[in-house]
Amino acid sequence: MDLLRRIDLWGRDFPERVAHISEERRLSYGKLLHDSTALAAHLAQDLPDDRSPVAVLGHKQPEMLVGFLGSVKAGHPYVPIDIAVPPQRVERILKTAGARLMLTPDAIADILAGPAASQPMRTRPLGPADPFYLIFTSGSTGEPKGVIITLACLDSFLSWMLGAYSLGEGEVFLNRAPFTFDVSVMDTYLSLITGGTLFSITNDDLTNPKQLYRALAASGTTVWSSTPSFVEMCLLERSFRAAMLPRLRLFVLAGEILPPPLVRALLDCFPEAEVWNAYGPTEATVLATAVRVDAAMLARYPSVPIGYPKPDSRVLIFGPDGRPVADGQRGEIILVGPNVSIGYVGRPDLTAAAFFELDGMRAYRTGDWGRRTDGLIFYEGRIDSQIKLHGHRIELGDVEANLQALPAVRSAAVLPVVKEGRPEALAAFVTLAERPGGADAEVSQSLKAQLSQRVPAYMVPRRFFIMDALPLNTSGKVDRRKLADMLA
Amino acid sequence: MPTSARVINVLHRVAGTDEVLRNPDILLFEGGVLDSLGLVELIVGLEEEFGIEIAPAEIEREQWATPRKISTYIEALVGA
Repeated sequence: MDLLRRIDLWGRDFPERVAHISEERRLSYGKLLHDSTALAAHLAQDLPDDRSPVAVLGHKQPEMLVGFLGSVKAGHPYVPIDIAVPPQRVERILKTAGARLMLTPDAIADILAGPAASQPMRTRPLGPADPFYLIFTSGSTGEPKGVIITLACLDSFLSWMLGAYSLGEGEVFLNRAPFTFDVSVMDTYLSLITGGTLFSITNDDLTNPKQLYRALAASGTTVWSSTPSFVEMCLLERSFRAAMLPRLRLFVLAGEILPPPLVRALLDCFPEAEVWNAYGPTEATVLATAVRVDAAMLARYPSVPIGYPKPDSRVLIFGPDGRPVADGQRGEIILVGPNVSIGYVGRPDLTAAAFFELDGMRAYRTGDWGRRTDGLIFYEGRIDSQIKLHGHRIELGDVEANLQALPAVRSAAVLPVVKEGRPEALAAFVTLAERPGGADAEVSQSLKAQLSQRVPAYMVPRRFFIMDALPLNTSGKVDRRKLADMLA
Repeated sequence: MPTSARVINVLHRVAGTDEVLRNPDILLFEGGVLDSLGLVELIVGLEEEFGIEIAPAEIEREQWATPRKISTYIEALVGA
């Protein structure tokens, strides 16, 4: 599929149609076509034709889409960064990505308000093997990792989605995830290539429930993609039912374990809608498996499967010897196919550790436990210390490394607070380099504030325990089991 | 126990910080004490504590901006 051309055709043929709605602001396909092309001409004029990434920092403004498409039209992949990412981490992302330029909605508006680029655009359009976007995820050493997704990766993902969901024209896609998270790639690009409308939920909506439900009710959403946590939150409101969103016909839930009771509640409240569970790491372009979940499936299996592999790819379950295990046996989930990333930007070491080639295809070790039964894949948790907290992928080591980088901290261990089998929050156990004045609560408050300068808010532990020493196990490592007992 | 004290107890459990005990006028969202998921936990916690139903779609952030305001909101609901 010629992705960019497909999007542009909506702008040419249906210029008035609304491509994006965010906080009362509407962006038409015509304006998206015009603005992204004009921005691309500027970028092509100002930047060397070297495929260097362009960072686009903002939240849900329509200019974000203009920035993404403008960059790729100019032959540069983009790096989406949400305003929730603190400046220190933004700096590290820009450096790791090798970005020459960072755009913001204001900067994009300024460029477009100024004179048009003086030279005709002469740039090599992105080829299938070229990076299209880079999305940064949590890295275990405290350094964010930039996953490189090529045009061919994205193409493979979108072609699958189009076939799986039989999307028509006039769909309204809910955009809940910030553009920093690749779940947003699903709603954004499925909407843009089908001439749909992307309806953004903002951070501001999330802490103002009345405003959130008013926005949802007015959205006319037909395709809902989010984490299970978000839809579970929405279900707290008893009027969150088909009557509020009568056109809603498809839920695609991904990013964390989908509990069976949540599926039952959704099927109950939205009897006409399909509920799909899907799974995939950023490294395999949003999703690698998906399946429609209905009452029969819930009755057959104790947990909700993450689905069947996408058709052009393979999912293998490897044992400790690096060979596939028998059906029903547990092993590491390995993803193989054209949707697998070409690696982490600027980190050949991490790339070599996680990616390999199998039968001429790229393959990725997910670090997830899984098993295959009846052709369906079931997810069974993480092998390492990465967790999913309300859909956010967090390396506990990332939080620990950033805590230990604070001058007041000597050592730190971070654990998830688990409620009913699911991580609910983070807890930090900290020993101090020197004891500042003030009660534990004040020290914790100050550490939280300092940590917020380094990592996004969702990575800041809610609970802090100031300790004289961290308990050690017999092998001399931090005794996480003992710490977990303190949380129970 | 008065309604407001019970509200603060639930809030304290959810927020995990003594700030909310010390300062009834602390700005919960701007101050980073509560995020959207904390708010959800708080709603569920208060529903369980008081055996009431709280409709999230009725909650304006402004009405829940501080511990004191949340107490006032809940007092009105339970008629205390």
